Amino acid sequence: MIGGFAATIHGAARLTVDLDVAYSREPENINRLAKSLVDLDPYLRGAPLGLPFQFDVATISRGMNFTLTTSAGDLDLLGIVTGGGPYEALISESDLVEIFGYRVRCLSLGKLIEVKRAAGRPKDFDAIAELESLAEEAENSHGGAEGH
Amino acid sequence: MKKYLEPDPVIEAYKRDIDLTLVRKSLSLTVQERVDRLLALQKAAKEFREAGRQLRASQKS
Repeated sequence: MIGGFAATIHGAARLTVDLDVAYSREPENINRLAKSLVDLDPYLRGAPLGLPFQFDVATISRGMNFTLTTSAGDLDLLGIVTGGGPYEALISESDLVEIFGYRVRCLSLGKLIEVKRAAGRPKDFDAIAELESLAEEAENSHGGAEGH
Repeated sequence: MKKYLEPDPVIEAYKRDIDLTLVRKSLSLTVQERVDRLLALQKAAKEFREAGRQLRASQKS
């Protein structure tokens, strides 16, 4: 997990409405990813209805980053993260957290700040400021995702 | 912040408006509590959006 949900895990208070996930481009994982989303009716977010879009192995293999709408909510799937690279490069920059009984990899606070800064989007400035404030508070109190 | 990147003057300016009471409150929660709170907020936001849609529709008619 990266993006706003990861920020929440590290303590961000702001509301985010989509889930950002970095995924491995290994063929076996692409296959798993396609199968796991079938029941959620993924479709290209913001695109006109009725396009011949199917989120299957061929589509994922041809593409890289996807902004999707699903029956469970908006989902961004990233094969490459700006400032972070592919999934494999992010593994060592992630923390393991437990949510709803599942162990989930979440981008570390330091790397999250780095990739948001790398993206350079003005809309992220406020979020980056909050993340950096969280890092400073966590450093002072030894809290953060690892602390609980 | 020495552990992370060099301070960016633009971000430092934005930091002045960060509510540290919210940051500290959030850090006092467990990871699961933080996620639960986000999901509750998302649910509330969805309700608010729907209420706004209904209000706008009623004002048009």
